[in-house]
Amino acid sequence: MPPERLLELDDVQVHFPLREGLVKAVNGVSYHVNKGEVLGIVGESGSGKSITARAIMRLLPKRAVAAGGSIRLRPRTGEEFELSALDRNSRAIRQVRGQHIGMVFQEPMTALSPVHTIGTQIMRTVQLHKGLNRADARARAIDLLAKVQMPRPSEMVDAYPHQLSGGMRQRAMIALAISCDPSLLIADEPTTALDVTTEAQILELLKQLQSEMGMAIIFITHNFGVIADIADRVSVMYLGRIVETATVDDIFYAPKHPYTKALLRSIPRLGVDQGRRLPTIPGMVPDPFSVPPGCAFNPRCTYARPGICDVTTPPAKHFGNQISRCHFAEKLAEEHAHV
Amino acid sequence: MSDQPITSLTLPDDVLFSVRGLKKYFPIHAGWLKKHVGNVKAIDDVSLDIKKGETFGLVGESGSGKSTVARLMLRAYSITDGEIFFRRTNGDIVDLSRLSDRDMRPLRAEMQMIFQDPYSSLNPRMTLLELVGEPMVIHGNGNQGEIKDRVAELLRVVGLRPEFINRYPHAFSGGQRQRIGIARALALNPSFIAADEAVSALDVSVAAQNINLLQDLQEQFGLTYLFITHDLGMVEHIADRIGVMYLGRLMEVAPTELLFSKPLHPYTEALMAAVPQPDPRGNRTRKRVPLKGEIGNAANPPPGCSFHPRCPYAQAKCATEVPALRTVADGRQVRCHFAEELSLVGAVA
Repeated sequence: MPPERLLELDDVQVHFPLREGLVKAVNGVSYHVNKGEVLGIVGESGSGKSITARAIMRLLPKRAVAAGGSIRLRPRTGEEFELSALDRNSRAIRQVRGQHIGMVFQEPMTALSPVHTIGTQIMRTVQLHKGLNRADARARAIDLLAKVQMPRPSEMVDAYPHQLSGGMRQRAMIALAISCDPSLLIADEPTTALDVTTEAQILELLKQLQSEMGMAIIFITHNFGVIADIADRVSVMYLGRIVETATVDDIFYAPKHPYTKALLRSIPRLGVDQGRRLPTIPGMVPDPFSVPPGCAFNPRCTYARPGICDVTTPPAKHFGNQISRCHFAEKLAEEHAHV
Repeated sequence: MSDQPITSLTLPDDVLFSVRGLKKYFPIHAGWLKKHVGNVKAIDDVSLDIKKGETFGLVGESGSGKSTVARLMLRAYSITDGEIFFRRTNGDIVDLSRLSDRDMRPLRAEMQMIFQDPYSSLNPRMTLLELVGEPMVIHGNGNQGEIKDRVAELLRVVGLRPEFINRYPHAFSGGQRQRIGIARALALNPSFIAADEAVSALDVSVAAQNINLLQDLQEQFGLTYLFITHDLGMVEHIADRIGVMYLGRLMEVAPTELLFSKPLHPYTEALMAAVPQPDPRGNRTRKRVPLKGEIGNAANPPPGCSFHPRCPYAQAKCATEVPALRTVADGRQVRCHFAEELSLVGAVA
């Protein structure tokens, strides 16, 4: 791995052998995260964005089969982990979780233990990974709560999750996730359940922590507004594949995959008159048992050509740092050049 | 039907719903004797008019009372105080707040609701025929054959295949289930539909399809919508006028374009500034100061203007005097002492 590289996924496969057939929830995903950057992963439900994150943490559902590919992590400490080779309960992966990778989920109410105070939960983590004694761990927990701008941290350390509002719970969850100075934070829809004003506060907090602590973030969301606000680079997923990866500006102003382009057009934007009807993507996401052959997006794509798109899986085409998996990516690139 | 309180009151010809001084307090009981110790003022003095054929957007954070307003208008909750005038299809104007549940029943055909969660709002043990046909059975509209024909037609109207009539909701995606809910709401030919976060749970591309459907139906059947959402981009796209709610009160009512280009209430400004736009360059240059703190407690709202503890422009007066919702220029209403003096920034130039 190049020296700036923190995490590298290469051709990761996660399959669900179900009675109805084989679902390839993650079907050959490759991406990387550099030290200190924010990678946004965006896609609709069922695109495989969360399952990929769980594959990194080795927290896949019991029915899932890690069917191939490699996931490598090189945290600040310098050692290298081949995460894809680790068992979900191995000693090594338990060291990685919490210490090198922290995770924040959408629903803090279900992710935090309801029967322990938030202080206890943070203390356990730092006692385990940092070997602190009780008193030091408690002081560290209060520090962390102050760091995530929890009001009255020395009181709130003894609060149970149900006593907190949604925004406060998410702050507690972030405090827990960053308690061991991880090199990578995986945030899976962390603001989706929050109100916009609280969401703005949490995004601001994450950006601030990221620059202070120099950690990288994988930020998973379906909200393009949030992605535009926080990400440095963005990967767009559709049906278990990454269709496009680029800098945030290239994704928004010069998309080179028809799916990215169509999705962006269908979002109502403030101050942009899109006409009375929103442009839509024809049809719907096919069910996971019958993913179309060739490019999975071809039945809904206005650029698709029979004999090409419904036959061959498009290769990754590089335009500088922008990667698009579309047979006609050059055509989209030309269109931008004319605008 | 008994003598309905048809009011002699005349509403302006274009008004379908007129809500005046609406209040909803939920009592708080505490202690061994469950003594009444206070009230949650879920809705406190809300007045608004909805015009025939328009889409009125209601925005605000969770706990602001936007869903409660819709439920009160449809009389799903009892009303603590206030009046709700509704213009029936036959032209009568009725005060819903004074109707008994029994007298309310025939009016329910004229006002319907679409819910947020397409998974929990449809009974999983009922087929589409039963789900969409149920309102017609309850209101005694037609025999079995007629109902079946009408359900098939409704499914076609909302873009579902009539062959699906005997399937169960689990066989459908979230977006399709939302369409089943829309077909059910249309079954009795309502004039008014309250859509409560109707597309919030849907993916981007599916939400766009369903929003287009709602707009087509509005045109086709002359529907009036109350559109409740926290998505400002969506409400700007669909609404003609917008009401902004905070802690049970309407803070501002304005035509959509004016609200977004020149908000008059500091809360409206803060709300717009908070929404991240799908525009990375714009986000970098836009002034965005996150609002401090959290929404207050409706059981014990701040004195004076309920927004003053979070308001960057608050002055001494705001902590003591409750501002009234007053009408200013351009048919706009605002509940702020200093609306004329502030020069606030909208989301749209």
